[in-house]
Amino acid sequence: MMKTICRYLTPLIIAALVLGSMPVVAAPQAASASDLVTTQDAMDSERGQGDRERIHEILARDDVRDQLVAQGVDVAEVEARVAALSDAEAAQMADQLEQLPAGASVIGALFAVFVILLVTDILGLTNVYPFTR
Amino acid sequence: MTLYRSRSFANAVHPGNTLWNARLAGVLALVLCSVIISGCASAPRLDDATQDALPRQAVIEEVPFHGQRDYQCGPASLAMVLNHSGVDIDVDNLIPQVFLPGREGSVQPEMLATVRRHGRIAFPLDNRLEALLTEIDAGHPVVVMQNLSLPAWPLWHYAVAIGFDLDSNELILHSGMEPERIESFRRFDATWARSERWAFIALPPGEMPAQVSQSTAMQAITDFESVQGPENTLSAWEALVERFPEAGMGHFALGNARYATQDPKGAIAAFRRAVQEDDTLAVAWLNLGLALRAEQHLNEAAEALKRAAELPGPWQPRARQALDGLSAG
Repeated sequence: MMKTICRYLTPLIIAALVLGSMPVVAAPQAASASDLVTTQDAMDSERGQGDRERIHEILARDDVRDQLVAQGVDVAEVEARVAALSDAEAAQMADQLEQLPAGASVIGALFAVFVILLVTDILGLTNVYPFTR
Repeated sequence: MTLYRSRSFANAVHPGNTLWNARLAGVLALVLCSVIISGCASAPRLDDATQDALPRQAVIEEVPFHGQRDYQCGPASLAMVLNHSGVDIDVDNLIPQVFLPGREGSVQPEMLATVRRHGRIAFPLDNRLEALLTEIDAGHPVVVMQNLSLPAWPLWHYAVAIGFDLDSNELILHSGMEPERIESFRRFDATWARSERWAFIALPPGEMPAQVSQSTAMQAITDFESVQGPENTLSAWEALVERFPEAGMGHFALGNARYATQDPKGAIAAFRRAVQEDDTLAVAWLNLGLALRAEQHLNEAAEALKRAAELPGPWQPRARQALDGLSAG
């Protein structure tokens, strides 16, 4: 008895799990005839931005999400941080996060560097050591 | 290479005197270095129009100071400008929103994005000292990015510029652990130039920078709208068309925001104004037609859609389709 129940139940459960784990198939958002053109779309087209760039920018958000997690950002914060980026900013983050300057105010300095920066500080070209002013 | 040459030259003149050689080489290297470095840093000169327009001194009072901890000049600078524009937030809440632990710092796109999250519009400034001083004079504290060190060993830093003195050529900044730090224009500009003079201000919707180009303002407000929605952005678009009354795209964007907030009549008026300012703006003709059709003004809708369908460009197919739908229905 138990066996027969299992026999019928198992495929059902498997099917349910498989279907549930599949991402919802994103139907392409067919602009319904009454929808107005959004400001965002109009601006993109003004900037001469083609569909290819648009798609790149949209996919960039997934990349940024992964990179933020890899950089140690709290997972609970990642979604909101990605959502606040504009498309162009998301693309910039995805393409060159490693090269972007990060405001931090610390320097891993060798002694030689210390001396050079001391001189440039005194010359008024840099501003590393507060006591030079 | 230069070093090696100078050394062999010295050898030829004073063979055997190695101490003298080393000293000569060192002096030459230092001279070379300082010539190269100082070549890219001279005291900035303000243009005459700005000199005349600005007061000799200006300081924005009541910009709260938050001293940075560890590497957190980004969150601290954000807290200062956000607090000044009336957002109640402290550095501790901003750190998880903008700081990147892996980079031990905060990057520019996320600085702008975090401003948006807190209901303020981030307007990047023109990368000139004049633009920076003009905003301070208008009462807008400016977040600046500096490289306090040399390009080879960067020391990236965010600070908030809050005042200036044209007589002594000095800028006043809330920076690092130091409130109201005074930096000469020369030193400040040398460090600021290394970030390509990156700067922005944070304003509530409805307020505009003292100086801004139409395209920069349009982009900043569009980015804000995509995060905060049309209802919170209406007043920003109204301020934009007040500043740039001839901007067709501005009226178009205002129309969209009105339409999305259940004001179709206001939207239609804005779209009409958009095509009145720029009758080649196909996308505004298209939205005017669609909005009129939704309001059952079918004849006027057909007229507008026809104009949109006549203009070549990316909106032509959609305009034709809407026009066909109208005549079929």
